[in-house]
Amino acid sequence: MPPIQIAVPDADLELLHKKLELVRFPDELEGVGWDYGVPLEDVERLVARWRDGYDWRKHEAELNQLPQFTRDIEVDGFGTLNIHYVHQRSTQENAIPLLFVHGWPGSFIEARKIIPLLTSESSEHPSFHVVVYSLPAFGFSEAPRKPGFAIKQYAEIGLKLMQALGYNEFVTQGGDWGQRVTRRMATLYGPKHVKAWHTNFTHTDTPSFTRSPLAALQHAIHESSIIPFSPYTEFEKKGFKRNEWFEAHQAGYYTEQNTQPQTLGYALADSPVGLLAWIYEKLVLWSDKYQWDDDEVLTWISIYWFSRAGPAASLRIYYEAHHAGDIFGQPYVSAVPMGVSYFPAELFLAPISWMKATGQLVFTAHHESGGHFAAHEKPEVLVDDLRKMFGKGGPAHGVVPGKTGYA
Amino acid sequence: MSEQPYKIAVADEDLNLLQRKLDLIRFPDELENAGWDYGVPLSDIERLAARWKDGYDWRKYEAELNELPQFTRDIEVEGFGTLNIHYIHQRSPEENAIPLLFVHGWPGSFFEARKIVPLLTSKSEPEHPSFHVVVMGLPGYGFSEAPKKKGFALSQYAEVGNKLMLALGYDEYVTQGGDWGYVITRKMAKLYGGKYVKAWHTNCTLASPPSFTRHPVLALSHFLHTYTPFSPYNEYERKGLEHTNQFRTKGSGYSAEQATQPQTLGYSLADSPVGLLAWIYEKLVRWTDGYKWDDDEVLTWISIYWFSRAGPAASLRIYYETVKDRSNLDLVPGVPMGVSYFPAELFVVPKSWMRTVGDVVFLAEHPGGGHFAAHEKPDELVADLRKMFGKGGPAFHVVQGKSGYSA
Repeated sequence: MPPIQIAVPDADLELLHKKLELVRFPDELEGVGWDYGVPLEDVERLVARWRDGYDWRKHEAELNQLPQFTRDIEVDGFGTLNIHYVHQRSTQENAIPLLFVHGWPGSFIEARKIIPLLTSESSEHPSFHVVVYSLPAFGFSEAPRKPGFAIKQYAEIGLKLMQALGYNEFVTQGGDWGQRVTRRMATLYGPKHVKAWHTNFTHTDTPSFTRSPLAALQHAIHESSIIPFSPYTEFEKKGFKRNEWFEAHQAGYYTEQNTQPQTLGYALADSPVGLLAWIYEKLVLWSDKYQWDDDEVLTWISIYWFSRAGPAASLRIYYEAHHAGDIFGQPYVSAVPMGVSYFPAELFLAPISWMKATGQLVFTAHHESGGHFAAHEKPEVLVDDLRKMFGKGGPAHGVVPGKTGYA
Repeated sequence: MSEQPYKIAVADEDLNLLQRKLDLIRFPDELENAGWDYGVPLSDIERLAARWKDGYDWRKYEAELNELPQFTRDIEVEGFGTLNIHYIHQRSPEENAIPLLFVHGWPGSFFEARKIVPLLTSKSEPEHPSFHVVVMGLPGYGFSEAPKKKGFALSQYAEVGNKLMLALGYDEYVTQGGDWGYVITRKMAKLYGGKYVKAWHTNCTLASPPSFTRHPVLALSHFLHTYTPFSPYNEYERKGLEHTNQFRTKGSGYSAEQATQPQTLGYSLADSPVGLLAWIYEKLVRWTDGYKWDDDEVLTWISIYWFSRAGPAASLRIYYETVKDRSNLDLVPGVPMGVSYFPAELFVVPKSWMRTVGDVVFLAEHPGGGHFAAHEKPDELVADLRKMFGKGGPAFHVVQGKSGYSA
């Protein structure tokens, strides 16, 4: 497949500009900061930059330095979808094939910083051949046209893409929806194709007494008001506070997206400032004091604005996964080594015992800082974890036969 | 400022901006055969947007609205300064008519009362009682000013309602309210009941599930319904609970976002006419019972939000401000209460539960109709009020000297 370049038509840029000229801002209460949502001054500043000063063509050219391709992938029951992906091979021939899967409101851009690190060659650490696909309906991948495209289908695309690239055996890294997709891939295609999986999105089911009695008992002790003791670590206890914050303050977007994505879609497709606010809120609240550069934010959001299927399409994964029962009650992933990296500002931090009840946990790392967009916020840290997991002496070293990551 | 007569007069430049935005609409995609499953269908929005752009004549409907007797007046709210409140005040030719305050909710407005005003104020001796009607525009809605500080919650809305009636010379009055109007008039009955509020009527049939400690018999009945085949509820009530559950599981995304991040959502609704249209239209259709919406009717309803004094974002904040307070539906003792059941209302709880909210002296059950009762079923709602307050009715002559009749 020949490489492709992102080339947003001039007409699309013009329309965006025309809309930015006509932005009508809401009012705002006095002195509320972030309490009610994104502050007006942030949005006004970003809109002003987007309208005058932000140069999409410059950032488009930078994105085009990534080796991008498209390819048709057949999905059972859904016909062919044209999938956009980044494929960067390492100079190290025996590099470990790794598939990175993003989520919402992410995109292929999230992997941008880790690609050069992962693919770099060194005797000190393993190398990876990296594949980053835009989930269908995100970025420059086509969107499904029929209802019912859920985690199973996203997983199918992941496998078929890797196989088409000649990687019959590979490992995965995923956060947010990427975790759900790669978990499903490990379940369906591991250990035959998926040899190991790593995630930074530490969301999983509360352990049940039937499946994981010990973990369930530990949790019951923690929850109990009668027993004044918790078996969890400080990190884990803080994690529960974060989970509570998420449930109390962040239920809006996912509830709307998993019930009425089309209704919300009209606003996000039509209003650049509406889309900007909707996503920017997450970029800030879900990261850990990450210093977002305005142009960085605008590029991230422009990918949504200029996406092939439009921003509304990307919301449907919530609806489809919710309706397909893809969120809770997922089976234990057996026989596929699993790695977990904990970043304290992640949205949901399950205790280690819960992750052990999720899959064959061979690697764990705990970090002092970092949030939901680990690959973007903490690229060196995440890559370091992957190198430890897959490197010489690591618990998943050599999982892909013949591709140890070293010469 | 004391009472000023008011005529809606949207500025030409506002009409102009709307037109320019409508000319630049970018629509989202849609799945095949999605119907209403994912939200408002694209064909509906395209049709409505096309009409809004070409054909819909705001000035015509503005003139029609201006046939209603509208006023504004400054109302002082403790801790919030003065708010300029927009309202309709229509007196009956019957001097002894009962003063009635109608309170709307979201996504409603004073527009909702339009059909019942002439019916309620009409004089028809001796058939039915007459009412002097006041329709308050909630702060932050329609042409009422919005509060500028945080914390404007149920007590404040109630304060505005009461002060408005007192300012109009109505020391004793009754109320009718649905949606937020229900919760606000309940607060008014609680704070001002007996002295000022002599009776209250609602079409919003929401109550908290009975607790075992306070209403053991009701709680037991509900336990039986939920966990055994022996339901004590009738067909209407069972369907009602099913309907309530549907709303909770599929239709409450808007509420979750509005209660947590109203500002974030506000950018979309302030900037995108089609975004606002879809957001509200979804409720107009889903929350009504086969009501045949006329496109111009829909557009007028939504234009009131688009052209509102404070902008559409302000109207969302009531959800955020009242999170703690609004779930308190404890008994308001000593103030006669009327309840009208419409089966497509969002919450349809068993009749026994409504009795835990207030001193129910009047109850009616209708075979059809939904959330916007005054708009969908004006005759039925007015008939209920006439029965409740008329001669021989359970709340006859609650307001001293204002029986609703001449003799």
